[in-house]
Amino acid sequence: MAERIKLVAYLAAIVATSWLTTAAWLAGGLVITLALCGRAAPRLLRRATLATAAFSGTVSLAYAGYMGWSLHRLPLDWLITVNLRVLLMALLTFLFITRVNPFQALSFSRRLSFLLVLAVSQSLVMKRTLADFRLGLESRSLRPASLSARYRAAAHAIAWLLDRVLANAHDSAQAMQSRGALR
Amino acid sequence: MHIPDGFIAPQMYLPLYAAATAAWAYGAKRVGQELDESSLPWLAALTAASFALSFVALPLPGGTSAHVTGVGLLAVVFGFWQAFVAASLVFAIQALLFGDGGITTLPLNALAMGFAGALAARGLFLALRHFHIGLALFLAGWIGLTLPALLIALALGAQPLIAANATGEPQYFPFGWGVTLPALLIPHALLGLGEGALTLLGWRLVERLRGRYQHG
Repeated sequence: MAERIKLVAYLAAIVATSWLTTAAWLAGGLVITLALCGRAAPRLLRRATLATAAFSGTVSLAYAGYMGWSLHRLPLDWLITVNLRVLLMALLTFLFITRVNPFQALSFSRRLSFLLVLAVSQSLVMKRTLADFRLGLESRSLRPASLSARYRAAAHAIAWLLDRVLANAHDSAQAMQSRGALR
Repeated sequence: MHIPDGFIAPQMYLPLYAAATAAWAYGAKRVGQELDESSLPWLAALTAASFALSFVALPLPGGTSAHVTGVGLLAVVFGFWQAFVAASLVFAIQALLFGDGGITTLPLNALAMGFAGALAARGLFLALRHFHIGLALFLAGWIGLTLPALLIALALGAQPLIAANATGEPQYFPFGWGVTLPALLIPHALLGLGEGALTLLGWRLVERLRGRYQHG
């Protein structure tokens, strides 16, 4: 029950933050969220910054450059407000991820919980195997692989992936049926 | 590159959530009807594949690479509704478990990539497969990447129009369609050629493997 309340609180905080357009309110929200993070604040702040830096940085630099070039002024208000909002929302998400067990938060629906557990566990295995495919291609030759070789390798990785889908679905259905999970 | 939270105005993402929720509810019902009692593990496996597909590198000339979306391939191999539901679940998992992408951009991604991308890919494949299956698959992969890019460019470019302050300055994403359309469409139309090629190659390999499960 506590996990569900945290999920609802997180969603409410995200929606409320998305409406904020005043830098002072956003800065206040950031301070409160950092306080809620406790000792993990520096680590979570770093993760939130890294997760948003590529998009926010590209857009901010482009907009600052465009405004500086065309209107000879920096959009400081926009830069501060939007970057604070983006950082605060990302920090809220990372705080949610570290503090809430999503499988318990979604346990109000038995089917959704099953689906999430099965999908996430298989996703991680598939991701790891695809990394092995990539390392395998790199290790087979001293020279970098040609474009056609990389296409063939990518196509084989995809075919393996879809082959696993069919096999995994079959295996999971049998395993769940034998344990009465689908009744 | 995922769009983080904070760039899409609530005036846009809240109505998109309403539309996406209706599509998810109907999609889940359709997937349940089309499949038997094993639909849950099937959908989980498809979601995992959709998630993992985003880690397959799309080879580009010069040794560089981008990431495959795989929406077109999922739509032609498994069907539109299954591709849509699986892709939506992937966006939710990425946002809520890994902090990749945003919870406010989830409905935009789901509707643009999962719904429109998969629908266009499946529709183009069905329309052209009797004419030339290779061309149908290639174009399905291409449109599965390019159409979502167009829709996301339109959504991003609309932000200054729907959420500006009293002096007309943007409060969310700052650029209009004059910037977003060429910035997103041109690279994705080119990347789509690679996605089209991979869709064609992937389909051919899958066809070889499929028989064993259909007959097994």
